[in-house]
Amino acid sequence: MGNRRRNLATIGVLMARTRNELVRVPGAAIPGVLAPTIFFLGLNGVFGHLTSLRGFDTDSYLSFVVPVSMLQGAGFTGAATGVNLARDIEQGWFDRLLVSPAPRWVLLTSGVLSASVRALIPAGFVFTIALILGAHWPGLIGLALTVIAVMTMAAIAACWATMLALRYKSQAAAPLMQIGMFVLILTTSAYAPVALLQGWLQDIARYNPATKILETVRQGFLGGVSWGDTWPGLLALAGMLAVLGALALRGMRRAAV
Amino acid sequence: MSAVAHNARVVAALGARAVRQTFRRPQLMAPILLFPTLLLAVQTGGAGGAIHLPGFPHVHGFLDFMLAGAMMQSLMLAGNSGGIAMAVDLEMGFTDRLFAAPIPRFAIVLGRLAGSAALGLLSAVWFIAIGLIFGARIEDGVPGALLVIVLVTLSAMAVGGLGAAIALRTGRASVVQGLFPLVLVLLFVSSAFFPQQLMVEPARTIADYNPLSFIVEGLREPVIADVSAAQVGEALLAVVGIAAIGLIASAFALRRRLRTGG
Amino acid sequence: MLPMPAIEVEGLERKFSGGVLAVAGVDLEVAEGEIYGFLGPNGAGKTTTVRMLTTLLRPTGGRATVAGHDIVTGAAAVRRSIGVALQEAALDPLMTGRELIRLQATLHGLARQEGRRRADDLLDRVDLSEAADRRIGTYSGGMQRRLDLAAALVHEPRVLFLDEPTTGLDPVSRKGIWEEVAKLNRGGTTVFLTTQYLEEADRLADRVGIIDRGKIVAEDKPSTLKQELGPPHLALSVAGDATDRVREVVARFGKPLPSGDGKVLVELERGAGDIAPIVVALDQAGLAVESLELVEPSLDDVFVAKTGYHLAEEEKAEAAAAEASA
Repeated sequence: MGNRRRNLATIGVLMARTRNELVRVPGAAIPGVLAPTIFFLGLNGVFGHLTSLRGFDTDSYLSFVVPVSMLQGAGFTGAATGVNLARDIEQGWFDRLLVSPAPRWVLLTSGVLSASVRALIPAGFVFTIALILGAHWPGLIGLALTVIAVMTMAAIAACWATMLALRYKSQAAAPLMQIGMFVLILTTSAYAPVALLQGWLQDIARYNPATKILETVRQGFLGGVSWGDTWPGLLALAGMLAVLGALALRGMRRAAV
Repeated sequence: MSAVAHNARVVAALGARAVRQTFRRPQLMAPILLFPTLLLAVQTGGAGGAIHLPGFPHVHGFLDFMLAGAMMQSLMLAGNSGGIAMAVDLEMGFTDRLFAAPIPRFAIVLGRLAGSAALGLLSAVWFIAIGLIFGARIEDGVPGALLVIVLVTLSAMAVGGLGAAIALRTGRASVVQGLFPLVLVLLFVSSAFFPQQLMVEPARTIADYNPLSFIVEGLREPVIADVSAAQVGEALLAVVGIAAIGLIASAFALRRRLRTGG
Repeated sequence: MLPMPAIEVEGLERKFSGGVLAVAGVDLEVAEGEIYGFLGPNGAGKTTTVRMLTTLLRPTGGRATVAGHDIVTGAAAVRRSIGVALQEAALDPLMTGRELIRLQATLHGLARQEGRRRADDLLDRVDLSEAADRRIGTYSGGMQRRLDLAAALVHEPRVLFLDEPTTGLDPVSRKGIWEEVAKLNRGGTTVFLTTQYLEEADRLADRVGIIDRGKIVAEDKPSTLKQELGPPHLALSVAGDATDRVREVVARFGKPLPSGDGKVLVELERGAGDIAPIVVALDQAGLAVESLELVEPSLDDVFVAKTGYHLAEEEKAEAAAAEASA
């Protein structure tokens, strides 16, 4: 069997194994879906009237926050990859993979791709609820951008969490994995447009690449998609994935000899 | 040593262990201080413009308003963490060791509640400190701050009772952990994060009846306005109600566990 | 030309942060086709050594080759040549046995058809065909170990590392694993076996190495190591108060040994050949003996002599029981 086919086959079986965790544990998918959904509904119920503030460029807070919740769901899903990896390391399962001749990037990719695919579950759920409650339809291009952003954000989160799992080798690092994503996604224009944020958060949000990602996804929900509002987000996604992917791969290569 | 003094020592020792257990497990500690602090920060920074909305109560800053919500979140999650820790004890058989010891069985529950109270106290002090450092003002000064600390401590104990009851009844950490989202839901449909009258339906109507709203208002009042006996009374009533449910449910769950052996 | 050793270790060291030297210069060589038993008390450096040889841990000093490849510079090639059943290598309770073996086949780059065929063969061989489609979480401890062993064999490794393969198993399951290991070895597989059961090492290993405080303190065939400890001794239980007189008689045949439990012990230079004359001499002296036992030095005696420790008491008892029944 050729090298490439062999690596693809390995990625396939490892992804199938992570799928087991969803399919074979009753209710396993629920927490991952529930958390972003609760956040989505909660933020709407609590902060819905913020749209009356001058400078808020939409009157639908639902449409404004649905991208936040989808990206948050992707972040949590990616972080869960790291928690599961830490569990596999603690229990010894990961040694089985490390002593195999499978290339290290294959081990990393399987987890990251699983997270990308899995992230579509909470995102799809939140998206459906949002539409039912009256959020704007983002258009096909807007939807495509949303899918790309959600899957890549999950991959970024998975790389981040994998890096931490390999570093700390313990599920005790779980809060760190989640907090990283929490901070990344919420220190943006998550609650309100950048111009309406308090000073310190405004400064962070301006430089936080996740703001660009969020705004790339948000444009479809708030109006039309333009290339000018799209490329910065795509660049931010690619850049973060490259950096965190490289760090996670380095961790993976150092996990054994 | 008298029996009462002995039992008090047992409860204190178990409470101290509960606190240590929480400090040594980041998974238990993070939800109590770290998450509420981060959420406080991003919500204050993100939704801070809300104080300009018509109908928003007169406050010195959004942080002043949000402190009560952060404390409420923290004490709810402290109760949840306490329940998880208790269920882990049951799963690992540590509780059997306690059941076998010559101590009143209910001291095990009280010990856990003492731990929750201590964590509540810690949380109250932490958030008051955070608030003062970042420019919040406590309108009622030191007496107001003390009132807040007492209320948070009592509330943490009350919520801890619910956590203990669920842990004793189910004996499974995963079940108690599964209540985490419910805690978030309860917070979102209370006035923890926003004035009730400015919330969106149906959250607004639910918040009117949510006991958490009463406690939150009791915690918020001393920070943003003058304390009114009525508000504090309502908060205390809600705390006592939750505590009563928690203690009675714990007692039943404990009895059932001892009778059926698990 | 001599055949290349399957495992060659020179001055292997591992220092952990904090300065703990877990492995302090291990030298050993395992020939192709050999079963090498690696013994040592807890914390002696057994697992650290195995983790280095299986490329899971980078050595901080020395060098080693496995199947002809350096464990650091040729780690990838080592991984292709070895099968590993680690003591703590968990099995995913959510997978079925068949899925695990197939996953292992894929990890080793076997083509799908080949992997499936191999999985079926192996499951049959370790007697798990019927349970193959059940989740591993429902398996007994013995079944899990057999599955783990099968998973380690899926790519027909040249060198097999077994880290305490029977710890915690009941005697029947243990025997099953032993038979399988012996069979594999007859097929040419080199086996590096760590164990805390001396009986296991005695039964299976061609040679054993004893590691203590990070260093090999003894290494040879089990029989040679036992012989080194000296000749066997005779243990006599005496009825009544004739102990001193019995001791006088047997002292004519060999060096008396101190004994703690009231028995009379005497070293026999000629081994079993001395028994008959002793019995005759006691009979002539009119002394009755309740029981009489020839005790060969056990691997446990070797272990104690070399490390100063007994392995866990229950294992000692097991070993003694096995020797008595042998």
